[in-house]
Amino acid sequence: MKKVKSLVLAGLLALAPAMAMNGPAFAQDNAVAAAPAADNAAAPAESAANAVEAAPAAKVAAPPRMKPTEGIGMPRPGEITLQEQFTSTGHTARWMHDKLLLPLCFIMSIFVLILMLYAMWKFRAAANPVPSKTSHNTLIEVIWTVVPVIILLVIAVPSIGLLADQYKPAPKDAVVVKVTGYQWYWGYEYPDAGIPEFVSNMLPEDKAKANGEPYLLAPDNRLVLPAGRPIKLIITGADVIHAFAVPSLWVKMDAVPGRLNEKSFTIDKPGVYYGQCSELCGARHGFMPIAIEALPPAEFDQWVLSQGGKLPGAAPAATAAATAQAVAPAAPAAKL
Amino acid sequence: MATLPPSPFDRDRRNRRTMLTMAVVGLSMLGLGFASVPLYRIFCEQTGFGGTTKRAAADVQVREATGHTMSIRFDSNVQPGMPWQFYPEHRTDTVTIGRKDMAIFIAKNMSDKPVTGTAAFNVTPTQAGAYFTKIQCFCFTEQTLQPGQEVRMPVLYFVDPKILDDPDNKDTQQITLSYTFYPVEPGKKAS
Amino acid sequence: MTTITADHHGDHAHDHHDADHKPAFFQRWFMSTNHKDIGTLYLIFAIIAGIIGGGISGLMRAELAQPGIQYLQTWANMQHSLMGVEPATLDQAYHLWNALITAHGLIMVFFMVMPAMIGGFGNWFVPIMIGAPDMAFPRMNNVSFWLLIPAFTLLLGSAFVPGGTGYGAGTGWTVYAPLSTSGSAGPAVDMAILSLHIAGASSILGAINFITTILNMRAPGMTLHKMPLFVWSVLVTAFLLLLALPVLAAAITMLLTDRNFGTTFYDAAGGGDPELYQHLFWFFGHPEVYIMILPGFGIVSQIISTFSKKPVFGYLGMAYAMVAIGVVGFVVWAHHMFTTGMSVNVKMYFTAATMVIAVPTGIKIFSWIATIWGGSISFKTPMVWALGFIFLFTVGGVTGVVLANGGVDDVLHDTYYVVAHFHYVLSLGAVFGLFAGFYYWFPKMSGRMYNEFLGQLHFWVFFVGVNLLFFPMHFLGLSGMPRRYPDYPEAFAYWNKVASHGYEIMAAGMVIFFINLIWSLAAGKKAVGNPWGEGATTLEWTLSSPPPFHQFETLPVIDDAAHH
Repeated sequence: MKKVKSLVLAGLLALAPAMAMNGPAFAQDNAVAAAPAADNAAAPAESAANAVEAAPAAKVAAPPRMKPTEGIGMPRPGEITLQEQFTSTGHTARWMHDKLLLPLCFIMSIFVLILMLYAMWKFRAAANPVPSKTSHNTLIEVIWTVVPVIILLVIAVPSIGLLADQYKPAPKDAVVVKVTGYQWYWGYEYPDAGIPEFVSNMLPEDKAKANGEPYLLAPDNRLVLPAGRPIKLIITGADVIHAFAVPSLWVKMDAVPGRLNEKSFTIDKPGVYYGQCSELCGARHGFMPIAIEALPPAEFDQWVLSQGGKLPGAAPAATAAATAQAVAPAAPAAKL
Repeated sequence: MATLPPSPFDRDRRNRRTMLTMAVVGLSMLGLGFASVPLYRIFCEQTGFGGTTKRAAADVQVREATGHTMSIRFDSNVQPGMPWQFYPEHRTDTVTIGRKDMAIFIAKNMSDKPVTGTAAFNVTPTQAGAYFTKIQCFCFTEQTLQPGQEVRMPVLYFVDPKILDDPDNKDTQQITLSYTFYPVEPGKKAS
Repeated sequence: MTTITADHHGDHAHDHHDADHKPAFFQRWFMSTNHKDIGTLYLIFAIIAGIIGGGISGLMRAELAQPGIQYLQTWANMQHSLMGVEPATLDQAYHLWNALITAHGLIMVFFMVMPAMIGGFGNWFVPIMIGAPDMAFPRMNNVSFWLLIPAFTLLLGSAFVPGGTGYGAGTGWTVYAPLSTSGSAGPAVDMAILSLHIAGASSILGAINFITTILNMRAPGMTLHKMPLFVWSVLVTAFLLLLALPVLAAAITMLLTDRNFGTTFYDAAGGGDPELYQHLFWFFGHPEVYIMILPGFGIVSQIISTFSKKPVFGYLGMAYAMVAIGVVGFVVWAHHMFTTGMSVNVKMYFTAATMVIAVPTGIKIFSWIATIWGGSISFKTPMVWALGFIFLFTVGGVTGVVLANGGVDDVLHDTYYVVAHFHYVLSLGAVFGLFAGFYYWFPKMSGRMYNEFLGQLHFWVFFVGVNLLFFPMHFLGLSGMPRRYPDYPEAFAYWNKVASHGYEIMAAGMVIFFINLIWSLAAGKKAVGNPWGEGATTLEWTLSSPPPFHQFETLPVIDDAAHH
């Protein structure tokens, strides 16, 4: 029998009508994703029971699906530079790129170009028929060795600082989401809130357009996160290596099978932030987008409850409810 | 003006010697390529590179760093297609640094055939790998589960107090220990 | 400068004595032991591979010219009907995309740039430049070349066997596990791996041959510190090949056993680690990029000196900068793996080590400028290509410094920014070096002059084309477009369109090149021994054009007093 990761929580089903009002229902497209679960006919009764048990908690309505802001959290048409950033690492890194590295690139390239053009003009054969025989000048050789070293040191200082910032681990009360890369979709699980894994598939072109979302960037189910709270993503791959990448949050981390990676950040403000798989993972590598929906903290809590999850500090739920690894409740999912 | 060119005979001999030397260099690099497999493993085990955990004997003596705690998160994965449920009894735990603690993982064979599994593991953040020490773990050996059998598998571990002196870990508040179970296929031998 | 006493002078071209006795056609071209003939074979091979690899990039640019899937499905159906199987599914069409990018990368690296640089120009001119009659092991030289044919055949053949979702190896040129192991069923990836094995064996044999030749076969008086910089560059390259390629061979051998014999070197299921493959691959892969560019450095140094009528500025610094680049090139590999989840210290080390490479590279760029400074510059075709190389390589180099920063790389990794960077250093660097060398030595190799007007026109059209093609990729990468995507969101449409137009212009430039090539071979003016005048001081210009079949039967003697 095939083990299929859990896909849909029954609690979600209760919400489908409510969410249908806000564009495509959150759970709706899971029906397609859940299709592979159909061969999982032998779903154990107990996990189905768990799912039903969770349903009463899911009376809270999910916040409406957020509309993306044009040009924010996504590439702009004809853009020539980095996307606007919404994390502290992103701000530092973007500053470093825009204010330090890019100017240096320009200065060095233009400097070399000017030197070349000047020399080409000044020392063209017509103007300078007799070449000099100079082939050494220790001073200038020392200069063009030492000056680049100094420039590199100037780059290295903020660069090392940026790395340290990037690796600052999240505090232990951070919101933790487990991200799993599959061929070719993403799975998101909230272990602490007890929200089992749901999957995120790319929206087909007509649906994305109808939704007012960019095709090839918009998935059906988004990764919902709180803005302003520390977040820790723990990332792994199920089959081959994928990479979880969201350019506007300065996040890119490989999802490696058999190995866990973590990435910590805090999103500055609510919004929808798109990303794409960034490690070649097979045929549909280009078609497993990522969308993070960052909600204001209160709405995030509401969302967690709407999914049948629990908030931190709430009475510890039975561990069974948190066993998100339970085999997918295939039967209810198939009804969708 | 210059010395006479070397005789063709001398040159051939010298060429052959150079060629053989270079062939040895090339073969050594080939050997190094293959040797990198055990070398990489040893390197990872010694340095905690990539979040590789340490291993200690059961009678290891550690100094407890009273008052210093670390949150431990347990993460579980099963390779798609393997008919097991596998999850930690508790998602997180808080331990005193240096104190030995036990975590339980629960595995259940959902199929009607016996299935043998083996677990890959690492910890994050990767710089904490060198301080996460396991005394006893189900991941050290293969596990066979009969149809429908459920087992509780212990991990006995401690967080080395030296982590408190490591500047790279000064902000580390939570270590995540992750396991992925893979079926052991007959014929696939561990490298 | 070097005073040379050689027994063949350029104006002796009409002296047809024994030295110019050539074997019959089959003997000469299929069982060749003559370094110049083998060099010619390599160049012809590289041109053919370049047409195929460049044609594939044309397919890619056509598909990427606008958002949506325009042609992939049709091409995949063509591929399938060629093999007599049912039409391709959409996933198989997507797989074809991956097969195309893989083939483009492998062909350009292993079957175009390397054979042209090392096999072609290295074979032709290293022995002549050091005053040797031939390579140290002429028969081994022949084996090196002929190994490329089965290697290339295997790679091309892999496009027509199953490779996972569709046909052909769709793993990228990096062949990362587990996509290349459990993720690609079917023989295509096995064929690609074997192809790399054979091409690697060919290059290792070639490297040993070059090292032996350069160390032992130099004419009397030709000390290491008097060798032309092109010879230095080939020597360093040969050592890089010898040290790096066996590691690749080991890495892909283990891939092969993981795929076919149940080992788990890269499979976490059996205690292996997929990241080990990446470490091994890039331990080879990073030196590999220097393998591709260093001979270009050498070629450019010769040309800049020749057409400035000045010796190379800071000869020793130039030679040892290449050695330094080679050495440091072995300890920076993991900057290709910044997003794999390495710890902060490792990332800091690889950031710092990578930036160090900018120093010897800077020395080279400034030394080239200092070489033209005060010279008497004539802007013949090879010179404009070499000058173009210096500027474009600088542009590619500075974006390398950006990417070297582990923290910044987190957003640029695996985006078009990286594609832009390595095409600036390779497609605009190495390829400009190749064209520079080709025009520079064409009269020597063929005995005929190329057409100067067409050469200049080729340069300008190509220059505009490739810049239009690759510069916008920086913008695409900065705004987040990932690599290896057959389709993209609307927002990336503009610069992709520009890039595809750039490809069209570049392709027009290549047409000019081939017209020039054919016209010059057929009707070009006869070339004298030294068409470049007093600036051309290396030994090949003391010979006739083309050189006699066997040169230097009496070794030339290089004056002890000579210095640079």
